[in-house]
Amino acid sequence: MPLRILAFAIASEQLGFRERSVECIQGETPRALLARLHPSFDPSVARVAFNCEYLGWDDPLEDSGELAILPPVSGG
Amino acid sequence: MHAVIQFTQSPIAIPEAHTVSREIGAIVEFHGIVRELEQGHPLAGLHYEAYEPMAVLQLERIFQQLHTQSPVAEVTFLHRLGWVPVGHASLYLRVRSSHRAEAFAFCSAAIEAMKRDVPIWKLQRPLPPDAC
Repeated sequence: MPLRILAFAIASEQLGFRERSVECIQGETPRALLARLHPSFDPSVARVAFNCEYLGWDDPLEDSGELAILPPVSGG
Repeated sequence: MHAVIQFTQSPIAIPEAHTVSREIGAIVEFHGIVRELEQGHPLAGLHYEAYEPMAVLQLERIFQQLHTQSPVAEVTFLHRLGWVPVGHASLYLRVRSSHRAEAFAFCSAAIEAMKRDVPIWKLQRPLPPDAC
């Protein structure tokens, strides 16, 4: 299933993109997906969100949509 | 509660209050200003970015949740994105309520929650050529 991945702030520099489209296996977790696409990326330094809702790195992705990689926030 | 949540690439312009009420007895404003020193290093400014759709959703949820504890009449949240020079505001938060305790509590808790969960980032980047 198609998935749009967004990477923000330092995560975009670590991953080398701000946005890309990938094919994801139904039920694949964000952790497994990132390990497949970018084995050197350390998920412990970021949070992940699916369709604008926080998600666990080990929660399965069941639908196509937008996956965001979010480093520690620092607004204000 | 009326909530205004806006992100802007321009300098923050403080809007007029949305609600007119003779029961507003407290207005608390917070201006977040970019400081020159970041961990001891002098900066010309900071670059801000946000995941705007999620940030708006998270802020709406935070404000609704805080409203149950500290009922207020109106909250205005403005955050600047892009390059923000030292001395300029990156954040403006205004809370209007009947009593000061709710306004102070709401304002403080909203900023804490934003710094914990709202996808906005400050980045140290070189001064953009058009910033001078």
